[in-house]
Amino acid sequence: MIWLQLLAQGLVTGCALGVVAISFSLIYATTRIFHVAHAGVYTMGGYVAWSLIQHGVPDPLALILAIAACTAVGALIQHQLYHRLERRRATQLVILIASLGVLAVIQNIIAAVYTPNILQFASAWGGRTLSLGGVLVSYAQLLIVLVSLATYGGLLFFAHRTLLGKRIRAVASNPFLAEITRLQPQDVYVIVIAIASAVVCLPGVLVPFELGLQPYGGVTVLLTATIAMIAGGVGSITGAFVLAVAIAVLQNLSLLVMPGEWSIGVTFFIFVIFMLFRPRGLFAAG
Amino acid sequence: MTPYLEATGINKRFGGLQALRDCSFTVEQGRITCLVGPNGAGKTTIFNVVTGFFRPDSGSVAFRGRKLDGLRPQAIVQAGVARSFQNLRLFDDLTALDNVLVAVARQFAEEPLGAIFRPLRAAGEQRRATERALETLEHVGLAAQARQTVRNLSYGERKLLTVARLLATGAELLLLDEPASGLSAGALDAIMALLRRLQSEGKTLLVVEHNTRVVQKIADQVLFLHQGHLMARGSPAEIIGDPRLAEIYFGGAI
Amino acid sequence: MDFLNSYIVLAEIYVLLALSTNLLVGIVGIFSVSQAAVFGVGAYIVAALLMGDILPFLPAILVAALCCVALNILVTLPSLRVAGDYFVVTSFGIQLLATAVFTNWTEGTGGANGLPGIPPPAILGFEFDSTGQFLLLSSAALAAGCLCFWLIMRAPFGRLLRAIREDEMAVAAAGKNVLRAKVGAAALAGALAGLAGGVYGTFLSFIDPSSFDLDASILMLTMVVVGGARTLTGSILGPFLLLALPQLLTLVEIPSTIAAAMRQLIYGLLLIAFMLFRPQGLAGERL
Repeated sequence: MIWLQLLAQGLVTGCALGVVAISFSLIYATTRIFHVAHAGVYTMGGYVAWSLIQHGVPDPLALILAIAACTAVGALIQHQLYHRLERRRATQLVILIASLGVLAVIQNIIAAVYTPNILQFASAWGGRTLSLGGVLVSYAQLLIVLVSLATYGGLLFFAHRTLLGKRIRAVASNPFLAEITRLQPQDVYVIVIAIASAVVCLPGVLVPFELGLQPYGGVTVLLTATIAMIAGGVGSITGAFVLAVAIAVLQNLSLLVMPGEWSIGVTFFIFVIFMLFRPRGLFAAG
Repeated sequence: MTPYLEATGINKRFGGLQALRDCSFTVEQGRITCLVGPNGAGKTTIFNVVTGFFRPDSGSVAFRGRKLDGLRPQAIVQAGVARSFQNLRLFDDLTALDNVLVAVARQFAEEPLGAIFRPLRAAGEQRRATERALETLEHVGLAAQARQTVRNLSYGERKLLTVARLLATGAELLLLDEPASGLSAGALDAIMALLRRLQSEGKTLLVVEHNTRVVQKIADQVLFLHQGHLMARGSPAEIIGDPRLAEIYFGGAI
Repeated sequence: MDFLNSYIVLAEIYVLLALSTNLLVGIVGIFSVSQAAVFGVGAYIVAALLMGDILPFLPAILVAALCCVALNILVTLPSLRVAGDYFVVTSFGIQLLATAVFTNWTEGTGGANGLPGIPPPAILGFEFDSTGQFLLLSSAALAAGCLCFWLIMRAPFGRLLRAIREDEMAVAAAGKNVLRAKVGAAALAGALAGLAGGVYGTFLSFIDPSSFDLDASILMLTMVVVGGARTLTGSILGPFLLLALPQLLTLVEIPSTIAAAMRQLIYGLLLIAFMLFRPQGLAGERL
């Protein structure tokens, strides 16, 4: 039955990864910026929540405040850094390097303040488990799945049914045209990064809730999420989410045949396969 | 007799737009052929297909009887067909001389091993290539601007530089995308004279042009493209004098 | 005195790495955070060859350099076929994968504990034992690296690379093979990083994965950004300046547990600051 347990674990991780993938995809598809600092925003969410909870703030409020913090930081990066660079006609390379700099700053401030060691959330209810068809699932894991699926559904609805969502998609599909009509892409970019940063805070808090916090894990998570985004087809919310779950499940199932430290090899191997045979992804949007 | 350049049944679609529709034409060797048509007729697209930047959905292109289908752009240049760009695409931070030098065919030390292990030979060959490049610049009338950065050149000078870059490749069939657009009267005359001179030296030119005066002055033959399809071909007088084509060209139905 | 020599040796090694990064990032214009991975491969290969008494120093360096050339070509080739941003993913992936291999392949690399006891280099019987003697070796390596860089930049190859950075399509339209040129640059970058790795391992006589991780790649990037891209001067200035930084930091009282984080934090700040206010670095050209 171990493979069933691994499968369940993979589904949980996959859902969280799916949210990261969708949030990154939102930014990349709209702004065309490879916002590697997103890994930093993901990481900081958990630490903000942890600090607040340490000071006695109730869990739900801590989560909301962490989301607010992430949103602010994300918006700040776009508005103060990327926007300025783009105004100066900086190349993609320059923006990437700047984003990398932000990532290094965020991760290392966290490491300096909280030490590089793993921190655990003190949670009364998260660790409690229940058995679903012979598989052990914790309350925290259930919450991850529920929140992730809700986020996926919510973003899908937002993108296709709301006015703001449509505006975002319009800007994403033709930034040049958006510039000369009244869509004001730069405002849209700030909104998009703000939303994506808020969204990515959810797995950023809920996953460490179960596994613990550490400052440098964000890069691997983001890398896997971007591979899911690319394999699923840039611009497809469903593609990113489904592929994230698939990759996480495959990674977990691979534990049956290889040690966990090599799981990044599995992910990377999947990426190479896609690049060679289907570079545009499975669910490629236009 | 095999046609010099032959396009047969080229189709190219971009999303919802059929850019080229069963497009077929031939170009005669040693002549200046002008490609005209309203905006969106597919002139630049056909350039991209012929020179390997786009793969056609169907159809084929042959140069001197040899198929160019599937070849990478650089291979097509080496086969003797080179193109310029409507928006110039010069190397702005490089000098005029360097712009031409990049295009000089078959240079030594264009890869690291030759540059590192045979520096003396590389230097010698560079001198030779530089001489050829300077001759090319002289030929188009830019000898004085050789050491100037492209940023410091006037628009007319930049247009001449794009032709120089083409010549440096050694290609015999030159595809020029609007070489005369945006030029003052003096520069216009210089470019037209240059194109005529190139033809007299044995080059074949296929030129996209909007300016009917230019077409009349330089073209031996005109191809009229409309909605991705060759609509008419003939002498400049025939094409320009045709009222039906004029209506399409100047604002009839698209 | 030994301390100063140590600093210079390390700086010279990092100049080779800066040149390597400069080639890819500054000259070709590819984003790369995987230079430390190649650096590490070079170091581990030379270490293994010397410790196993398989080859003497210079041939070992040659083998390592060739392997790193192959590695870099392998890494850049598929990514150059697809759109530029995907290379970012590949670069991160290679770096993280390499760290995983260095840390977990205990039989080959000693795992997280590293490889101690790497013998000092010996050329024609002469052993470079002391730091002062090693300085001769590292300076020779530096001279070789700089010479290669200088030679290719003034050759048609250098001009071709500059043109590619400006407009690839126009270069293809000029009849030149863009992919082959980029791969050539990546190959040379690999050779430089491999050489640096071999010199580094034999200098410190001990290597472990922490010298070849993502943070190290970020440091190399910072050196090129601060020193200046696309120039030889920039690639010399950057490492000398940035390796002096930890010495300056010791003047400020920082607990050792977070010293590494503080350094990386400063690198991050430097990257942001230079991209915003001085993209040409101190002695380079605009990135």
